[in-house]
Amino acid sequence: MSDQQPTFRFSTSATIKHAVLILGALIVLLPFYVMVSYSLKSPAEIMQNTGGFFGAQIPFRDDYCVKLGNAIADCMVTPWIYNYTTAFEKAPLVRYLLNGVIVTVSIFFIQVIIALPCAYALAKLKFWGRETVFALVLFCLLIPVHAIALPLYIMLAKLGLTNTYAALIVPWTISVFGIFLMRQFFMTVPDDLIDAARMDGMGEYSIIWNVMLPTAIPALMAFAIFSVVAHWNDYFWPRIVITGNRELFTPPLGLREFKGDADGDNFGPMMATAVIIVTPLLAAFALAQRRFIEGITLSGMK
Amino acid sequence: MSKSRAHIWFVSPALFLMFVILLLPILVAFGISFTSFSLGNSGAEFVGWKNYEQIFTRSTYEKMFGATFRYVLTVVPLTVALGLGAALLINSLTRFGDLYKTIYFLPVMSALIAMAIVWEFAFHPTIGIINSTLERGCGTFLENWGWYAQGCEKTFPLWLTNRDYAIWTVSFIGVWQGFGFNMVLYLAGLTGIPKELYAAAEMDGAKSGWERFRLITWPMLGPTTVFVVTISFIRSFQVFDMVEAFYPQGGGPSKSVYVMMFAIYEKGIQQNLMGVGAAITVVFLLFVMFLTVMQRWLVERRTHYV
Repeated sequence: MSDQQPTFRFSTSATIKHAVLILGALIVLLPFYVMVSYSLKSPAEIMQNTGGFFGAQIPFRDDYCVKLGNAIADCMVTPWIYNYTTAFEKAPLVRYLLNGVIVTVSIFFIQVIIALPCAYALAKLKFWGRETVFALVLFCLLIPVHAIALPLYIMLAKLGLTNTYAALIVPWTISVFGIFLMRQFFMTVPDDLIDAARMDGMGEYSIIWNVMLPTAIPALMAFAIFSVVAHWNDYFWPRIVITGNRELFTPPLGLREFKGDADGDNFGPMMATAVIIVTPLLAAFALAQRRFIEGITLSGMK
Repeated sequence: MSKSRAHIWFVSPALFLMFVILLLPILVAFGISFTSFSLGNSGAEFVGWKNYEQIFTRSTYEKMFGATFRYVLTVVPLTVALGLGAALLINSLTRFGDLYKTIYFLPVMSALIAMAIVWEFAFHPTIGIINSTLERGCGTFLENWGWYAQGCEKTFPLWLTNRDYAIWTVSFIGVWQGFGFNMVLYLAGLTGIPKELYAAAEMDGAKSGWERFRLITWPMLGPTTVFVVTISFIRSFQVFDMVEAFYPQGGGPSKSVYVMMFAIYEKGIQQNLMGVGAAITVVFLLFVMFLTVMQRWLVERRTHYV
């Protein structure tokens, strides 16, 4: 009896579990389905909710092109090609993506340059006031930077720095979380390794970059993912410090602007823009899933 | 000699930035919250507690607290419960667990502003996939449900523009976005529970799955839960992207989605009323810091006893 029952019970309960999880997965995937599907369809198909997932891909007339005085025959466009080309033509999307890369990469590098030496000093050097500095780091972990956006904005405005790359980057240059994380990691590095490096005549500075950094690569990778995801997706801060100057828009701002003046014809291109903005991180996620999950949930390591 | 001085060069840049970027703004916010400061106007008057008084007496801010707490108190329990539920289900499966994990984690990775815009389409009253799917259910057994029958007779709700539904719809999107994050934290917590404990409990007579959960899983996940709850609170308090995307002016139907971060943005940035904005900032910081201190206290109390 005990041989039969467990297998039988297992399969029913497993089926129920799968059913629940599949239902959840469908709800989670719904907006992704809508996003990709709309980015492929023609305006008429979007409005009437027809055409299935891919749309019929029947060429339709681009009214804007006709208005420019072109022959109607030259203005017939295939929906998905139209949506994706319009996404790039209507707004300087390439510029936005480039800004996104510049901002996220600069933030990450400055965070590392500032945080790593501090973490090393806190973990491996003995000096007066070390405990105080560490206590300060722990206190600063309490402060969400978004919450102090208004005073930061006032300070940047007083310095005349709003609407610059600096405004997008400077508030994020200090990552107390990065300091805390790297300090915890450096604590596990054996002192002998550092002593040996000192014996070889290495200065403290080159110990950080030539001895500590290589050992910290896994932790640093996780931190990189944490940082890049947060700042690529960030909308609140760019929204505050960048007003109107399209040259400095990050991808989320570009998409938001698109939404602002989207009429019926532009739903497709707008969804195409959304796909283009969301895809880089999702693609990277698909390639390095475990690292991503580690990186994003880093804050859970305590 | 160089050894004893190196730390100054290592620590001071970080220390300087911590002061200027994290601590100074708190003081600035605190200071400005007692004035009528606005950018571009030279003179700022000291107004005492007036800004705070406004926040705690005017109906606009009553709505602000109402919307914020409604959102936070919906999103936190649901993201924690769904995160735990998903983690337990996935953990108990022998196959496809990783696939579900990947899918549930997708919203965490995606730019919320982009997904909010997509959800707005999905919730669109006429061309949205949600109402058109609901309409397909008309005429079936679902009409026995009063709410559903009403929807079929007239129209299904204007999810985002009806003031009875707006905050819950926004909360739903918040849950959709956040529970995968908690799931991953719980999955990590579950791997930390020794298998022997379950075997031991079974020998002691804990036969049902519920008993095992109550006696072992839940207590062992205690520290994870404290952390998950705190981080969910802090994250949900900061909701902004969706609200700004859906309701660029005014915070939704009858200000029913006027959350705190949006209020700070509207008062401070849009209307240049820095005094009020700074006062909301201070109140907001007090909330968040209180929560984090609570968490640390809970964790420390635990470690003392264990």
